[in-house]
Amino acid sequence: MRKTAALLVLACAAGLGAIASAQAPQARPAALRIPFESYALPNGLRVVLAPSPVSPTVAVTAWYHVGSKNETVGKTGFAHLFEHVMFTGSGHVPYGVHDRLTEGVGGSNNGTTSRDRTTYYETVPSNYLETALWLESDRMGFLLDTLDVQKLDAQRDIVKNERRQRMDNQPYGLVGEIVSSTLYPPTHPYSWSVIGSMADLTAASEADVKDFFRLYYAPGNAILSIAGDFQPAQAKALVMKYFGAFPRGAAIVRPAAAPVTRDGETRLVYEDRVQVPRLVIVWPTVGLQHDDRFALAVLDAISAGPRTTRLTKALVYDRQLATSITATQDSDESAGEWRLTITPRPGVSLTDLETAADAILDTLKAQGPTAEEIQRATAGLELDFVNGLESNLGKSMQLADGLGYHNDAGYFQTEYQKTIAVSPADVTRVANKYLTKGRLVLSVVPIGKTEMAARPSESTPYRRTDR
Amino acid sequence: MLAVAGSVVLAQGTLDRSKEPIPGPPPMLRVPAWTRSTLANGAELVISEKHDLPLVSFTITISGGYNQADPAARRGLAELTASMMSEGTATRNGDALASALQLLGTTVTVRIGGESGTLAFQSIAGKFPATLDIVADMLVHPSFPAEALERLRAQRLVALVQARDQPAAIASRLFPRIVYGDAHPYGQNVTEQTLKAIARDDVVAFHRAYFRPARALITVVGDVHAAAAKAAIEKTLAAWPGGGEKPAFQYPAVPAARASTMYLADKPGAAQSTFAIGLAGPPRSTPDYYALQVMNTILGGMFQSRLNANIREEKGYSYGVSSSFAYGRGPGAFRAGGDIVSAKSDAALTEFMKELRGIRGDRPITDEELSTAKDALTQRLPGTFASAQSINNAIVSLWTQGLPDDYYQQYAARIAAVRREDVLRVARQYVDLDHLAIVIVGDRATIEAPLRATGIAPVAITDIEGNSVQ
Repeated sequence: MRKTAALLVLACAAGLGAIASAQAPQARPAALRIPFESYALPNGLRVVLAPSPVSPTVAVTAWYHVGSKNETVGKTGFAHLFEHVMFTGSGHVPYGVHDRLTEGVGGSNNGTTSRDRTTYYETVPSNYLETALWLESDRMGFLLDTLDVQKLDAQRDIVKNERRQRMDNQPYGLVGEIVSSTLYPPTHPYSWSVIGSMADLTAASEADVKDFFRLYYAPGNAILSIAGDFQPAQAKALVMKYFGAFPRGAAIVRPAAAPVTRDGETRLVYEDRVQVPRLVIVWPTVGLQHDDRFALAVLDAISAGPRTTRLTKALVYDRQLATSITATQDSDESAGEWRLTITPRPGVSLTDLETAADAILDTLKAQGPTAEEIQRATAGLELDFVNGLESNLGKSMQLADGLGYHNDAGYFQTEYQKTIAVSPADVTRVANKYLTKGRLVLSVVPIGKTEMAARPSESTPYRRTDR
Repeated sequence: MLAVAGSVVLAQGTLDRSKEPIPGPPPMLRVPAWTRSTLANGAELVISEKHDLPLVSFTITISGGYNQADPAARRGLAELTASMMSEGTATRNGDALASALQLLGTTVTVRIGGESGTLAFQSIAGKFPATLDIVADMLVHPSFPAEALERLRAQRLVALVQARDQPAAIASRLFPRIVYGDAHPYGQNVTEQTLKAIARDDVVAFHRAYFRPARALITVVGDVHAAAAKAAIEKTLAAWPGGGEKPAFQYPAVPAARASTMYLADKPGAAQSTFAIGLAGPPRSTPDYYALQVMNTILGGMFQSRLNANIREEKGYSYGVSSSFAYGRGPGAFRAGGDIVSAKSDAALTEFMKELRGIRGDRPITDEELSTAKDALTQRLPGTFASAQSINNAIVSLWTQGLPDDYYQQYAARIAAVRREDVLRVARQYVDLDHLAIVIVGDRATIEAPLRATGIAPVAITDIEGNSVQ
């Protein structure tokens, strides 16, 4: 099956404001053609090619539909640990060669693991395209040929240090894990962190690596996305040469990971090695598969950030109760979270901050935003969008995400249009639907200072459980 | 499709995966062209056209930074002034300014670093003139509201407190303080005291002296036509009064380096120890620059460099360690380090020292190390001119570092000319094992005794500002 498409990027001098305000869209978009095509090999490997001659480099992204969501209780962190093992050499590529032929020729390589997917990439000078495909295909086809427990052990220690560096030794570093484990029931695969627990990392075995690889690292569960300076015909022949002979792989049962709703409020206080307290309020929302996320993203952009946004203007600028506020809609594949993070000015209580923030959000829910607020929130998307087209790596990753999550490599165009089409009424609706009582209010306070929590008498101490 | 698949299945049978594919000839280095001119007010102007996307990258760069302009007692003045530039103008209050920029879909950043400052934005090409108008207003007519100064000061005071909770931030304050001392601009930190000493008048005076055309470079890269862009900039910046001069970048002498010492700052309960090991190095203008680049790439500039290959990949003591030279107009530091699991602090320090001795000759540099380091450095270059922003950065860095216009064209030949003995010589000269500041921020209760037992250097306990404690 072969599909070819050309993306139309809106680049209208009239500005997106006209569209976003939904009044009189008189956009005269100059069409920007971003050529790409996507197709599948007979073995199920889906391929996206996006040629662009601007910079003499090529980015190769290998996208696997597996993340921490596919783990089970007791084996948390495994998908990410596995990502590390993918860099330890494979059947025909001794350890170290991957780095020598990417970073060592002026390129780069890395991998990232999320709840839903694991992405590997190389950027290389354009004459190294075949080399990058050779490297990626070898670990897709022959990782286990050279696997041994020593390699696993070394990466296990490194990942434990990654956990220490990013979370355990980082002020407020455990907030994400506390939110996940509180918002979702313990059997929900979003209830644990991507990096996993130390105990589970210790317990991971060589057999786990083999089973995981055989099930998830097969062409039928993968996408190969190539962006940059190359000839499509040559790239197609090379992709077939290096990936065409691999068997498709077994059918995968995807875990159930529906969005959650909560009846009441959960209030926690967590004592951290910090001097400045922090208030975190999180509401469960929807993920990538639900279009409400677009209005939720606009809601975060009009709530906090620049000084024109509601919470930032009131709490940081006018009343000066806080030094910083962020609001984010995080959309993973199956569910999402809308999160508010507030750092107080010295002497301001988290209780007062919570009350003040709630009052502002209540007003927003009751009256809705103005058209101009929406306009301000979305006006910068055009620049972000065009900026994103300048990076071969960014492009290859975005195309792979679109194909993997929406079965449409060009989905970022849809995403863009759906975001700029969000109306004030949409924002009012999602604010009322999702920003409800069913939320988590987490106070992070200095050790021994639980009285600094927001409404301390109603807040339960969070006890860390090393699973 | 079927025909293609069939022929490739045949080819598959003969595919020998054990052979590395042989790359074709490397891509040509295509350095974008740019034109230079001077505005009536004295500012230098560089324009580089790039028309594949409707984007413009605009930057005003000012020569000199907080190391030249901040009074020691009011450290933080440059940075505060930069932030104050976004707080409103004579005709637009802070809200109106922020709203106007948001509606243009852009963000203007004003930053003053150690040796240069920038006022910069990116925009969609059609919105460039309107954005430029606002930027000129910010540059020439900032209102510097007193209430904004108090708000920004309060935010920075909180950030200072928060920095004391982060081992990496503590190490980044401690290390330069110990290496350069408080009489050298490189060793001076922003403190509660210096922040509180800054008055609005200081901000006004700083702005007046610092943002002057005769010390400025304006760079425009992207979807513009040079003549029209120059005319628009000339007109829009007509109200920017001429004058000013570039700083001389004269730094006081670095204090005589002390014998190698371990400076241990306590972070009770820390899961990891942050290491910063090094000493003052050469300025960017050193003729040893290219040899140092090759040397550091082998030692700690890449993933498979010696430090990371050993301490992370082989030993598993860290998520990543590295080394670098902070080149600038003055004697920027050589610094190696990373975050080490607390229980392996002593073992990791032993390995750091082993690798530093190694690069000085204990472990000879292999042919492959030398060629990979050179390839990594030179083959990176063609890909660095991908975006309007990266081209702009490349032009600006020539100017801030005092490099010639053909620097990028000459780079590969300069790297190629580095010989193994050059690498060894600069390692011995600059990685001076007798005068290292070994700064470690971690859980003193568990790491002090093992670190002392290594015997690598005497231990001095310091507080997180670098003052000696017992």
